[in-house]
Amino acid sequence: MATAELVGPPETREHGRLTHNARWAIGFGTAAVLIFVTYHWVLPSLNANINTFVNSWLPLSVVDECMVWMICALGLNIVVGFAGLLDLGYVAFWAIGGYTAGWLISGQFYNLKIDIFGSPAAGTPGIHINFWLVLVAAAILTALMGILIGAPTLRLKSDYLALVTLGFGEIIPQFFKNGDHLGTLSGSGGFDFTHGERGITPVDPITIGPWKLGPFDLDWQFAVFAAIAAFVIFVCLRLRVGRLGRAWLAIREDELAASMMGVPLMRTKLAAYAVGAVAGGLGGVAFAEHVGGVLPDSFDFSISITLLAMVVLGGMGNVWGVMIGALVLSWINANGLKQVGSTFNSTFGTSWDFPSYNYLMFGLILVLMMLFRREGLLPESRTKLLLREPSRTDVESVGADLEGESA
Amino acid sequence: MAKPIKLAAALTGVALLAAACASTSSTGTGSTGGTGKTLVISTDLPLQGASKSASESTINAIKLYLDSIHYKAGPYTLVLKNYDDSTAAAGKWDAGACAANAQAHVANANEVAVMGTYNSGCAKIEVPVLEQAPGGGMLMVSHANTNPGLTKSWDPGEPDKYYPKGTRNYARVITTDDYQGSAAAQFAAKDLGVKKCYILNDNETYGQGVGKAFQDEATKQGITILGNQAWDAKQPNYKALFTSIKALGPDCIYIAGIFDNNGGQLVKDKVAVLGDNTAVKLIGPDGFTGYPDLDKLAEGQGMYLSFAGLSTSQLVAGGGAGAKLLTAYKAKYGSDPTTDYALYGVAAVQVIVKAIAGSDGTRAGVLKQVFGGAGITISATDSVLGKELIIDPKTGDVNAKDISILQLMNNQEGFLKAWPVS
Repeated sequence: MATAELVGPPETREHGRLTHNARWAIGFGTAAVLIFVTYHWVLPSLNANINTFVNSWLPLSVVDECMVWMICALGLNIVVGFAGLLDLGYVAFWAIGGYTAGWLISGQFYNLKIDIFGSPAAGTPGIHINFWLVLVAAAILTALMGILIGAPTLRLKSDYLALVTLGFGEIIPQFFKNGDHLGTLSGSGGFDFTHGERGITPVDPITIGPWKLGPFDLDWQFAVFAAIAAFVIFVCLRLRVGRLGRAWLAIREDELAASMMGVPLMRTKLAAYAVGAVAGGLGGVAFAEHVGGVLPDSFDFSISITLLAMVVLGGMGNVWGVMIGALVLSWINANGLKQVGSTFNSTFGTSWDFPSYNYLMFGLILVLMMLFRREGLLPESRTKLLLREPSRTDVESVGADLEGESA
Repeated sequence: MAKPIKLAAALTGVALLAAACASTSSTGTGSTGGTGKTLVISTDLPLQGASKSASESTINAIKLYLDSIHYKAGPYTLVLKNYDDSTAAAGKWDAGACAANAQAHVANANEVAVMGTYNSGCAKIEVPVLEQAPGGGMLMVSHANTNPGLTKSWDPGEPDKYYPKGTRNYARVITTDDYQGSAAAQFAAKDLGVKKCYILNDNETYGQGVGKAFQDEATKQGITILGNQAWDAKQPNYKALFTSIKALGPDCIYIAGIFDNNGGQLVKDKVAVLGDNTAVKLIGPDGFTGYPDLDKLAEGQGMYLSFAGLSTSQLVAGGGAGAKLLTAYKAKYGSDPTTDYALYGVAAVQVIVKAIAGSDGTRAGVLKQVFGGAGITISATDSVLGKELIIDPKTGDVNAKDISILQLMNNQEGFLKAWPVS
């Protein structure tokens, strides 16, 4: 039965072998270093054809964007995959993280001049706080917002919860879009909090110690994003096997039973929202740095849906599965489909507009997944057991029907 | 059931891999010929969503022009490469795509200049990256960015914040929203005799900018501005909005924004509530030009439009290089370009070509041609816009400040009059 899987947490020390923690850290670290070394040293020394091939199929800017998606998908996985709370408005946290960066590392508040280990161009007004401190600020702010948004929604279940989160996901980007005239009802005057539809551009570059990353240090940007991702993975894996993670799983499987067993529903669910939101906030700051600014148009409903698709495709609840789902789908969205299309068209002499079939393909993938592999590409072992376990055999069904007739 | 699917998936994968190995070309298209160093110039336009046909027209016009000069600029051979700054998910330009394009422009070693972008917001992301390109920056010339802040003081910190190294690399061949809004306001006051006007904006950079310029000039011209409010593009209809406006008794509505933001519904509801466009005048900026859907809309007839430049029909009437190119365009593609910006795209490429011709073939050399010395001048006989174009080497702005007033009649945007502003 499924419960047998929970007897020992996966990080239990195994004699003569590395712990689970050490294994993932080495695996992820090796992959990240390999990518860094490839783009930093190996590719520049190879011939132009190989460089052109790699730069058209997997340019470093796309790798960096995929990392941002992955960080956010891991956060959504905590809410949806671990705690089983369907969240259709996760983009709100991504947006809040992005705007935290916009407020704290740009010239948005031009009548102030605050510089805390920041990296502004000489003489630039505004608030310029060090990137790493901004990450902490975004984490705190999004955690608070997660609790604030979560609190009134947690009395709701299933469809209703999804609808309310959807509402929040729509409201928050609208606030950013219209937040340039706060305190007035007319189209001018008031306090310019978000700079409206124009967004906040540009933001200061990332700093590593005394070193300021330039716009073309994408490999170092990748290293920073990989470090953020590693932190989020660490948090996910550790929480998953701890008391809180087990409480989330209990709520996901059966809320009523969990509450009867003494799991504090409200607190546990709020913790899921808060921790999930933190990852969204970190992803938001990373995204602002990646794009070089923050624009409200970037945060629409389709982002929430794409993130959800990443979680479902990868395997709800499984950190590694979600990572794979996020990397695959974000690559398809950013560059993959476009590149497949241009290659296909140039090979077969067609002129099909591949990127316009993006959502058709996402939909098809999801339908096929639901038909043939409901548990995702890399399913969580619990989910796999539950989904593969036949709930009632044919004979039992016939027996139950007969009983029903005779009753 | 599962086996055939797996087999099909595997076959598709192998086919794609084979195709990928066979051809590693990117989205580039172009033509080469002759000898000398080959340099790449690129376009950076939204190739998906509502602006798709406008972008394709622009690219086609540019290709025709480059054909006519045999893809040559001085001793250099040119290749045109097209970048897409939109995504299917967004259905329009996308910040992530713009950031990725900026990196790709710089990474492409032979690329020396970019023609674009179409949207000012996208330019604000790309310009700072291109300015910091190794070797002294990379030139961008836009045919359609009308937001003033990219080249002159507008919002706080603009335009200096787009040039972190303090060197200019961005020029444009079109005039800015402040002139367009002013011209529309002067036209409304002097020719239409409007007294009370209500402004609706789409809350975007462009809409707010052009709306603000209209409001400022209209007030100077003695028009009472009853309000300046944003319309929400996601609303199913705007009847309630226009009913509240009706109570104020306006004789003009100025819609500052782009047609893509549910402009069709807005125009329909304006007519439904306030009456047709002869009773209460409807005026829009160039964000409403070049859309066949609006041109054919019954409720749109009689609407006045301003265009920050000269319209295609004016350029044909004026004769010269522009008319010749448009004739060739019609002969090749069977119709006129769907946007008046297409010829401005060619004008931007003319600036780039002239800069390359006079340069040493490096990015810095090309940039120096535009922003060093006297800058770039395209003579009236060469210019596809039919008049001399001078790019100010200090700001990157163009000397020509032509505004055209158009009117939608018989399902066409007919040229009404030119409205030069100073």
